[in-house]
Amino acid sequence: MKDSDVEVPAIQLRGVRKTFRLSEDRNAKTVLALDGIDLTIRKGEFLTIIGPSGCGKTTLLRIMASLEQHDEGEVIVEGEPVSEPGIRRAMVFQTFGLFPWKTVIDNVTFPLTVRKFPADEARNTAMKHIRRVGLERFVDAYPHQLSGGMQQRVGLARALSTGADILLMDEPFGAIDAQTRELMQEELLRIWDEERKTVIFITHDLDEAVLLADRVLLMSRGPGRVRELIDVDLPHPRFEYDVRGHENFAKVRGHIWQQLRNDLVQQREEEAS
Amino acid sequence: MKKRSKAQVRRDQIVGLVIFLSVWEIAARLLGNKLVLPSVSQILAALGDLIASGELITAMAESIWLLIVGLIVSTILGFVLGALVARSRTAYWMLNPYFSALFATPTIALVPLVLVWFGFGFPGRVIVVVLAAVVPIMFSVASGLRDDPKDLVDVARSFGVTGELQLLYRVRVRAALPVLLAGLRLAAGRGVVGMAVAETYLRLGGIGGLIKSYGSMFQTDYVFASILPLSLLGIAIVSVIGRIERRLHWT
Repeated sequence: MKDSDVEVPAIQLRGVRKTFRLSEDRNAKTVLALDGIDLTIRKGEFLTIIGPSGCGKTTLLRIMASLEQHDEGEVIVEGEPVSEPGIRRAMVFQTFGLFPWKTVIDNVTFPLTVRKFPADEARNTAMKHIRRVGLERFVDAYPHQLSGGMQQRVGLARALSTGADILLMDEPFGAIDAQTRELMQEELLRIWDEERKTVIFITHDLDEAVLLADRVLLMSRGPGRVRELIDVDLPHPRFEYDVRGHENFAKVRGHIWQQLRNDLVQQREEEAS
Repeated sequence: MKKRSKAQVRRDQIVGLVIFLSVWEIAARLLGNKLVLPSVSQILAALGDLIASGELITAMAESIWLLIVGLIVSTILGFVLGALVARSRTAYWMLNPYFSALFATPTIALVPLVLVWFGFGFPGRVIVVVLAAVVPIMFSVASGLRDDPKDLVDVARSFGVTGELQLLYRVRVRAALPVLLAGLRLAAGRGVVGMAVAETYLRLGGIGGLIKSYGSMFQTDYVFASILPLSLLGIAIVSVIGRIERRLHWT
């Protein structure tokens, strides 16, 4: 496989289906959350996922992280079918997911400690990434002493320090105020530009979806399906100037909004009837 | 009220103590009846005597040993029962009324039963302490483990923690620790009461035994001199747990 490494996709989904039971009762009604998802994510690609709420985008990401088991189909990470979380994938959580009883440094070293890395090596790696997100003054602080934006920087440093080459980000900036969010988008683009990790990034913010992505995956709801994959033809690096002024930005954004809007209007009509 | 600094609080407490002891000393001297109210100086003399004779040290050691064994047994039992009740709704509804009843029943009322069933030896005395202390531990374990920190369990799993046991101790128990320690602190206070009850009503021994035997000899100064270390023991244990709690608490 060595010589064909370039062609192996980061993640491949083949016919992934997922149903949920509505309660713990064995005979409870089931809901089809994801229906036959086929998707190939290239190595080093920045893919954003957007869709109406309830379209199963978080479920899809959790399946890619192996936090959730799919009922049918295959999840293939770097050529290998997976069913357990692995060190090649690292997740960044919407509500940051920091352990409140651990300091910044202990939160960041956590994945390395779990995987039995030597303590000093774990610390050095963690410090490198804490410095990278600009939190070296807060290594010994507890999460509750930090702002939301700072907490998510810790979450990012933790994911980066695992050395994973796939980042799974579940609306990571959704709980952060608008101005800080813009800054974090810039920082993420800068890091991505340096390392070219594969990033899969869920968002409900249209601008964010277009601004960050090489490709946008637009999902439809009830059940969750791939509606469209849209290439974003905008120049890189995007953190040095504001690509929102670019004509392609408006074009892609407009196109996605049309589709999303149709879904939302239809949903409202269904709910009304 | 304005917030007070630590030093100010300390000063207030010392001033209060001096006033309290002065009033006591003056009242005792005016009353002149050692049986009813011995003076502070007489109590201190009795305390010195108890320490010098080694009686107090022996009694303290016996009491502390009983308390520690009782609290360890309570913690183990409380953990098992609490985990059971947290995991199973059936167990919760089946067992909850009995534990609530046990919590509300004065331990002293159960002493005759313990005596009949387990005798007045060390096991019987440990059981009295357990009866006093187990319920708060059980309740705190149950409530601590019931609030499942789902998000953090996901975080741990996604970063490679596997197996229920690992998740339990790395995340669930750690997240529940503040609640568990609050339960333990409450249990320790009740355990001291249970200990004194066991030592006075089951068989004389330890600090409880000292109080009871000097009481029956009407040596009120020695009674006070024995109560003092008992209170201090209670305060010391509760404050040690409180200190651990503050260190482990993150807010």
